[in-house]
Amino acid sequence: MKKISFRDDVLPLKNRLYRLALRITLNPAEAEDAVQDTLIKVWEHREEWEQIDSIEAYAHTICRNIALDMAGKAGRGNVQLSEEIRVKSEEFSILNSQFSIEEKFDQKERLSLVRKIMDTLPEVQRSVMELRDIEGKTYQEIGNILKLTESQVKVYLHRARTSIRQQAEEIEKYGL
Amino acid sequence: MDYKYIEQLLERYWACETSLQEEQILRTFFQQQEVPEHLMAYKAIFDVQQEQAEATLGEEFDERILEMIEGDPVKAIPLRGGLRRRSFLRPLYQAAGLVALILTIGIAAQHSFDEEGQSQHTQFAQTDSLERPADEFVTVPETQEAAVTVEQDSINLTR
Repeated sequence: MKKISFRDDVLPLKNRLYRLALRITLNPAEAEDAVQDTLIKVWEHREEWEQIDSIEAYAHTICRNIALDMAGKAGRGNVQLSEEIRVKSEEFSILNSQFSIEEKFDQKERLSLVRKIMDTLPEVQRSVMELRDIEGKTYQEIGNILKLTESQVKVYLHRARTSIRQQAEEIEKYGL
Repeated sequence: MDYKYIEQLLERYWACETSLQEEQILRTFFQQQEVPEHLMAYKAIFDVQQEQAEATLGEEFDERILEMIEGDPVKAIPLRGGLRRRSFLRPLYQAAGLVALILTIGIAAQHSFDEEGQSQHTQFAQTDSLERPADEFVTVPETQEAAVTVEQDSINLTR
């Protein structure tokens, strides 16, 4: 097996780790801290690198746990977000009823709603979606990182995609 | 333009039946500016994914991390207990070793004046303690032993 180098094999994972941490904490500063803590932790365990199957999966698992810790300490962040989105979609239906059918959704507004829908998914669904749709990982790789079976990964991904689809279609209906 | 293929792919995407390659095709399709009206809601989903994929950390992050791990290793990473304790106690071991050494040499010198035959024992003890102080863990017991030997010798001498 190839010798693992921190600079060439571990540090380049930073952006993927950052995006995963960001999906979990929903806070860029916290996500950056999570990645820093992750990389330091991986470095401290450098004597065990040779025994690890995939340094990438290993780093992702550590990162997720650190990010979950931070998100847990941050408390009710998610609840506030879902509250916000409810208010926002109400605003939308009111707003749209005032305009003619010809009034189209601004794509920017669509984006911001979809962003909020994604942020309100349960954490596991967010993480699975991030690893699949953003990082392009196989179900097996995702299972390794999240300590789930492949079929569990698929179930979570299915829930995530279905719920985003439904909400996106609903918003679209309100708008038209 | 016929969007049957894309619509079909989308259906399979929601059902999680698409391969990574097929998902890439969908992503590429939705990246174009003009998408038929009935697919605009889905475009938003892929656009947000695209946007999320662009979140990155800058170069200064690398520098900070590398500085933390490659800088002074003692400062950068908390050392395991054993290592830290060893370096922390080192001066004590050295002091103890030095005292034992001086005593040994002193007594040995005294012996060599008194009687040549007997002092050969202490000579061994002396070289022993000279080599050991670098080895922190065994320094104290070894030099103590040497000192004891010397003491015994001096007792022998006085008899």
